[in-house]
Amino acid sequence: MKDKSEIMLADSIEPLLEVRNLHMQFPIRRGAFRRTVGFVKAVNNVSFHIRQGETLSLVGESGCGKTTTGRCIVRVYEPTSGQILYKAEEQEPIDLAKLDNRNLRPFRRQIRMIFQDPFSSLNPRLSILQIVGESLKVNRVASGSDLEDRVASLLKRVGLRPEYIRRYPHAFSGGERQRIGIARALALNPRLIVADEAVSALDVSVQAQILNLLQDLQEELNLTYLFIAHDLSVVEHISHRVAVMYVGKIVELATTEDLFTNPLHPYTEALLSAVPKPDPRLRNKGVRIRLEGEVADPSNPPSGCYFQPRCPYAEDRCRHEEPAVREIEPDRWVACHFAEELNLRGFEAIGQSMKR
Amino acid sequence: MQPTHTRLDDSAKTDDQTLLDVKDLKTHFFTDEGVVKAVDGVNLSLKRGETLCVVGESGCGKSVTARSILRIVPSPGKIVSGEINFQQRDGEAIDLAGMNPKGREIRKIRGGEISMIFQEPMSSLSPVHTIGSQIMEAILLHLPVSRQEARKRAVSMLDLVGIPRPSEQLDAYSFELSGGMRQRAMIAIALACEPQLLIADEPTTALDVTTQANILDLIRDLQQESGMSVLFITHDLGVVAEIADEVVVMYLGRDVESGDVDSIFHNAKHPYTRALLQSIPRYDSRENRRLYSIKGTVPHPFARPNGCPFHPRCDDFIAKRCDSIDPPRHKLSQSHSIRCLLYSAADEALPNEDMLT
Repeated sequence: MKDKSEIMLADSIEPLLEVRNLHMQFPIRRGAFRRTVGFVKAVNNVSFHIRQGETLSLVGESGCGKTTTGRCIVRVYEPTSGQILYKAEEQEPIDLAKLDNRNLRPFRRQIRMIFQDPFSSLNPRLSILQIVGESLKVNRVASGSDLEDRVASLLKRVGLRPEYIRRYPHAFSGGERQRIGIARALALNPRLIVADEAVSALDVSVQAQILNLLQDLQEELNLTYLFIAHDLSVVEHISHRVAVMYVGKIVELATTEDLFTNPLHPYTEALLSAVPKPDPRLRNKGVRIRLEGEVADPSNPPSGCYFQPRCPYAEDRCRHEEPAVREIEPDRWVACHFAEELNLRGFEAIGQSMKR
Repeated sequence: MQPTHTRLDDSAKTDDQTLLDVKDLKTHFFTDEGVVKAVDGVNLSLKRGETLCVVGESGCGKSVTARSILRIVPSPGKIVSGEINFQQRDGEAIDLAGMNPKGREIRKIRGGEISMIFQEPMSSLSPVHTIGSQIMEAILLHLPVSRQEARKRAVSMLDLVGIPRPSEQLDAYSFELSGGMRQRAMIAIALACEPQLLIADEPTTALDVTTQANILDLIRDLQQESGMSVLFITHDLGVVAEIADEVVVMYLGRDVESGDVDSIFHNAKHPYTRALLQSIPRYDSRENRRLYSIKGTVPHPFARPNGCPFHPRCDDFIAKRCDSIDPPRHKLSQSHSIRCLLYSAADEALPNEDMLT
């Protein structure tokens, strides 16, 4: 796996994907005539880029818009506005946000998705050959015995026995099903994989296997991941850079190292402090930030900074003025008025004795 | 808010501090294809006021163990053998395993002396009854109070679990609350009759980390206030490190290792416990970017391995011993016991102690 610093220094590497001012609104309809009475701003002015070979994680609580962002990128949804610039090999960047289904087809092969629930994301009535081979068939890449060979080698690559090719999903455990999902995503040699909570439903030991597999595949195939997750220890383990989302917006984006040791947004600090540390000696040690209240309603967000009602550092300015996302240092964005002044605690300060 | 704790204080006077003692519990499911030994010889004991965490991967029988204690194992499951000794408030010890699961006695225990909260609050709360009526139902069933008193108590319960504007929220339906608030409402129902034992089956798994932290704090505060014991089932070792006094690690329906939380995290002996601890992504493991993973998968319930159930996946497996001898429970110290042949025979086969540090 590539060293984090290597990726960081590699500013010269062109972004594979650049998202600019992405908005996704869902209408709220009421009454007999399904009149639109408002909008849920699921994704609200989100911008970021992913470099080739990098893992960027999107984290945040449920309902913060991380899945919606991922789905916009694979174009399950048509974004309300904004650009999704994808750079295909030896081509100028193309805005996927505006393409129709026909023109999207070549890109659908290059950007694939892995889903959270290995039980509902595989059709129980199709054999593994059909599930993994479907995209190869549809895209006329392979057929007949060639198709079988390719599916078998895909299964081998993700650590499943090729003899399982005629079995159905019910015969597999959760971890094995997730491997099938990964094999399906890899079938067309994609460049970017959107992994939506790919390990959340798995047990720790199986989770470790799948994380290792994802890292090996990244190294072998130079894959780029957009990793959507809520488990911060997993995110810390796998990502090069992390974007923290809150109510449809990115509040902080930094390299993993920076974000975990020296967070700049109060919400990031609160998230880090809420992660249970797997060491009983750290109990009741360090600082805990308990967020009061509930996540803001994305159809009726609070004035000023969206995090202001729950923020322990909020001041008057936060209630009136919405903070813009600023690039504080190279490759480090944060949306907080007081990012420079606050001295926030990272993972280490929260658990001092973590390093023995 | 002043719930009455008098009854608890009385019972706390008994000398015996053990509230629940499960001995060699076996719960099997008799399906058409064969017998699934979901729980096959579990031992655990829980003292008053303490928190016992049961950890293990999915399918290891931790939920079935909890349900066996309350006698709500779904059919075709049956307790085949074993004892579940429980100290009642009046000081009398009873064996829950011997009771009729539909009888009057166990129904007095359920919700009164032992309560349970579940993983998914949306599916365990009734969508057609208000939160208030569900709390009052529990109170009226177990305590000799009038409807008005029950209502008052329900309001104070909601207040206790930190639901804002409790008297208004009493008339709310479960779908009107957020995930964290629903879990609080379920805790309120469970605690309405001041149980001696709270069984929490993955109560924070479906919640966000921030909400999870709040709910764990709440359970801890309530426990300190009322002195109840908590049997906490989870697969998240981070949560275990936060709240447990004692830990039982389960694998394939067995308790493979049990002990106080420090022994389990810092002096784990069983290869399975060690493997579990090594597979969590940790902050201090950043130099080594590959996670340890246990080879193979949990075997199919019909194909239980002979001997030690973990031997096909174990790195320290001894041929001809681990695959034939069923390891007995062996006490390593007063508070630490294990089922592993590496330890029960002699000390010469000790695996490397420094593996974890």
